Amino acid sequence: MNNKKPSWVTYFSLAAVGLAGTGISSTALAQDPYTVGIEASFPPWAYVESGEFKGIAIDAMSAIAEDQGFEIEFQDMPFPSLIPALAAQKIDILATGLTVTEERAEAIDFSIPWWETNDVVLVPEDSDANVFTAVCCGASVGVQGGSSQQAWMEENVINNSDVDVSLSKYDSYVTAVDDMAIGRISSVIVDDTSAQEYINSGRPVKMAGKIYIRAPLALAVTKDDSQEVLGKLNQGIMNIYDSGEWQEIVSSYIPGVVAPPIPGHMPGFVDTYDKPVSGLPELGNE
Amino acid sequence: MDIYDVLIRDFPFLLKGLGVAIALLFCLLVIGLFLGLAICLIQLYGPRSRFVQWPLIVYERIFRGIPIIIMLFIFFYGLSGVYDISAFAAAVLAMGLRSAAYQSQIFRSAFQSVPEGQMLAARAMGMSSSKAIAYIVLPQAIRHAIGPWTNEFSSQIKETSLAYVIGVVELTRQAHYIITSTQGNVLIVFAVVALLYFILNRAGNSALYAFERKLSVPGFEK
Repeated sequence: MNNKKPSWVTYFSLAAVGLAGTGISSTALAQDPYTVGIEASFPPWAYVESGEFKGIAIDAMSAIAEDQGFEIEFQDMPFPSLIPALAAQKIDILATGLTVTEERAEAIDFSIPWWETNDVVLVPEDSDANVFTAVCCGASVGVQGGSSQQAWMEENVINNSDVDVSLSKYDSYVTAVDDMAIGRISSVIVDDTSAQEYINSGRPVKMAGKIYIRAPLALAVTKDDSQEVLGKLNQGIMNIYDSGEWQEIVSSYIPGVVAPPIPGHMPGFVDTYDKPVSGLPELGNE
Repeated sequence: MDIYDVLIRDFPFLLKGLGVAIALLFCLLVIGLFLGLAICLIQLYGPRSRFVQWPLIVYERIFRGIPIIIMLFIFFYGLSGVYDISAFAAAVLAMGLRSAAYQSQIFRSAFQSVPEGQMLAARAMGMSSSKAIAYIVLPQAIRHAIGPWTNEFSSQIKETSLAYVIGVVELTRQAHYIITSTQGNVLIVFAVVALLYFILNRAGNSALYAFERKLSVPGFEK
């Protein structure tokens, strides 16, 4: 008797499948605002205070949008998800303290560099480690997962030498610095802008030394860039730099710091830096 | 600014995050409930053809065997070529479909715990098999299912915190905002968040327990 299928079971199943199919909503139409992907736990570039997005990247992105006359909305995601999200076109623009690297240039397109960073080795306030001992010989070093600092450590220390160093990858730099405060790791490698933030805000850390890598930071768009956002971003960055608005934004978040000149050093391995650069045809590598 | 002042000032945002977590939980449990019940009914009373039964087994094994964080990425990025799915919808779908796999097994064991003789007796009295399921087996099976379903509820509450990896700003992510904008204070902020999850969990459990007692048939309790 079990072989006879009760008809209401069928209706019920169909209803359930139908229900599972509803509630999925589309986000983007062609004329919608551009979705700007950010990692909002990365002060001073992007963070949330009292429910509002703040930071250099947030203010600058808003200024660029106003200058170029397009609408934007911000979408926060953990850093390791941002580049895949851009590649999958879940976001249109990536605006965080994003370092220009060769691997990334293969997956996404970079705007002209708008910042230059060097890395800092942070150690606990009471540590007597120097820049060498802090990343050597039994040290355990913390970095943010997927960051350029992780790549630098792996390339220069972990993979290419017998130096006894362990590398811990964190969800965000703030948790790495917290973990160092309780003694689980001995140093943290972070970009100089963020390092200054931690010190300014009274975290018990100090700089053991600097690693001069002169890494350019830039905005990024999807590889095919069907909406031709890249040219607008490049012009917008140039305009807010020339008008002095860029320096104002930077000063309001990191007082006393002079913004590096724009355009900065444009590495040859990035194809979007070949002459003519989108939106700024007089620029570019020959 | 003191971290306690920040917590008081930003508490509404934690509650907003809690609201997102509750919305996610509700949607995924509803999908899981209806789809899970449907799967269970087809497995027990549907056609025995392997073209019907095999896909259900494969579905259930896959969704119970893969970590939810990977499912979240697959649904969010993988579906984007076909359909521009929002992060929240991707989370609801990934977690709801997985919950359906678990819930189908909860319901299956609940249905199977109703003695088979009852079904035979109902059929012998002239009830159709769908009527026998609806009026004899289902009412008892639902009662058996509430206990294990409470477990599923509790574990799903906690797993909603993973949805932040694809950009759903729920309670854990809101907590992360406070931690990063104040450059630290991991312990105290997460303690508050843990308390909120705990309260939600206890409230849900108590409600389900009250429901179980209200539905209990006198003389039929364990």
